[in-house]
Amino acid sequence: MIDFLVYLSTMVCIWGILSLSLNMQYGVTGLINLGHVAFFMVGAYVSTILVVIVGAPIFLGFVGAVAASAVIGMIFAAPTANLREDYWAICTLAFAEVVRLFFLNQPLQGQYVGASFGVSGIPRPLRELFSTQGYGYFYLGLAVLCLVLAYLLVEWITRQPFGRVLKALREGDELPLALGKDVGRFRIKAMALGGALGGAAGSLFAHYNAFIAPNYFLPLETFIVWGMIILGGAGNHLGAIVGTVVIQLMYNSTRFLKEIVAVDTSVLASLRMVVIGILIILVILFLPKGLLPERKRTYAARKNTAG
Amino acid sequence: MLQAVIDSLIYGAELSLLAVGVTMVYGSLGFPNFAHVEFATLGAYLALLLCSLLGISLVPATLAALLGAGLVGVLADRLIFSRLRRATPIMLMITSFGLGIVLRELIRAIWGTSPHFYPVGLQKPVIIFGASITPVQIGIILAALVCMLGFHLLLNKTKLGIAMRSLADNPNLAEASGINTERIIRSVWLIGAGMAGLGGVLIGLDTQIHPNMGFGIIIPVFCAAILGGIGSPFGAVLGAAVVAFAQNIGLNINWAPLFGWTGLTSAESLYIPTGYKEAIPFLILIFVLLKRPQGIMGDVSR
Repeated sequence: MIDFLVYLSTMVCIWGILSLSLNMQYGVTGLINLGHVAFFMVGAYVSTILVVIVGAPIFLGFVGAVAASAVIGMIFAAPTANLREDYWAICTLAFAEVVRLFFLNQPLQGQYVGASFGVSGIPRPLRELFSTQGYGYFYLGLAVLCLVLAYLLVEWITRQPFGRVLKALREGDELPLALGKDVGRFRIKAMALGGALGGAAGSLFAHYNAFIAPNYFLPLETFIVWGMIILGGAGNHLGAIVGTVVIQLMYNSTRFLKEIVAVDTSVLASLRMVVIGILIILVILFLPKGLLPERKRTYAARKNTAG
Repeated sequence: MLQAVIDSLIYGAELSLLAVGVTMVYGSLGFPNFAHVEFATLGAYLALLLCSLLGISLVPATLAALLGAGLVGVLADRLIFSRLRRATPIMLMITSFGLGIVLRELIRAIWGTSPHFYPVGLQKPVIIFGASITPVQIGIILAALVCMLGFHLLLNKTKLGIAMRSLADNPNLAEASGINTERIIRSVWLIGAGMAGLGGVLIGLDTQIHPNMGFGIIIPVFCAAILGGIGSPFGAVLGAAVVAFAQNIGLNINWAPLFGWTGLTSAESLYIPTGYKEAIPFLILIFVLLKRPQGIMGDVSR
């Protein structure tokens, strides 16, 4: 049981970083990225390729994953200048599928590494220093550290003038344009930032799971991350983490149901998704601002009334 | 090459039945309905249920599945989307994604993951000029043609059809002209989801019935709808044809002379790997969105 809790907490941390990164793109900047899993995938694959095939140290793999995902974010953002937001959303969905098709068709080494076989035996950092159970705690600590750092980073950026421009972008292009802001560049930066965080989550996942395959990165995963931030409250970083905890708890704890009700595992997996889907619809219908709505900040509204 | 043309005709017929509904809902309600492709899966399984469990023959089962999928579409609108008429397109989009998951996973929970087939038996293909086509495939093309013809007559000859077109083209103007928009929206869902249901049965006949059959073609379907111009059913059919031909013929072209000419490669033959087949509609989509966002049949002035 304790092992399961450690596993669950580690997954919450990894997915927490992922939902923080989508929250940066959608919640703060208003970019409807339906291909978010691409960053997670690129992060996981680049880190794996650098470490397993090139033979680089794990830290370098992590840095490479973050950099590569940031670049993918910039590529995602490139067409936003000419596209309507709903068309762009469909494009991101398609783009993530093309990235997945690439990894699905591309053998990485020989015939049986990469492609649909995935990559196994991904080394785990400092594995030799711990026992099996101790290592679980160690990796959880690492994941918590990464999540806290990511949270502090996005909170800090959101409070910066840069973050305020992003929020203004979310409400429409007119105001930032009138203030002389280059809206295209800000969108590219927001996508790169969100992409980098998503890549970090992917790298953490690859080195935790020690095995990755293209079918870990289906469009469904993007939707689960969306569920997390819609449930938590888009625009609120703490909300994104709360949403992650709730959805991960539902997603992982329902596996204990099969000890109570006699249903097939695959049926249970489907029903789990049905529950999450219904939850999302209900949240949008009855709680459109999420569990923790974003607080609207007012800047010095009353100071000048006297003078 | 003729084989590629026949394959494209079949694939295009299936795609167009789905793309028409996507474009009508998108035009009338202003959001891309990601759940639309699930109506195809639903239709395929409904027909399977009637066919193999109740022993009804395929044609009436298909008609019943068409009606059933259409009614589920109306139900989805009544229960969910009608409450969100004033919501942003983003919220509607996410809601439709959620509904799509619910429908798909329910189907998977009920019928399981393994593929099913309609009881039509093995087909002996007819050979025409070296290309083979089975009687069932001829039936698929005919069914799609009949459905499209009926839809065309409905859109152009009846009051309901004209109201549907005006709603898809410009919802505000339609409402201002005194059209009962809620009633027309219901018809759009019924017809759109019903045609998707028929499309699902045809895909099931052509290949196999499995829970991912709808979601697996979401990108070509949306590509066809956007390519044709949102709100234009005729454009969606044309878009589906372009996507289908590009996908099948793109794989049959030897690209080596082109790239040899630019000096990039000296290989004798250069084909697009079959695994990348699904990337072709995406590339068309990107190109169209960047160069002509209003689509082939779209109005330039908007």
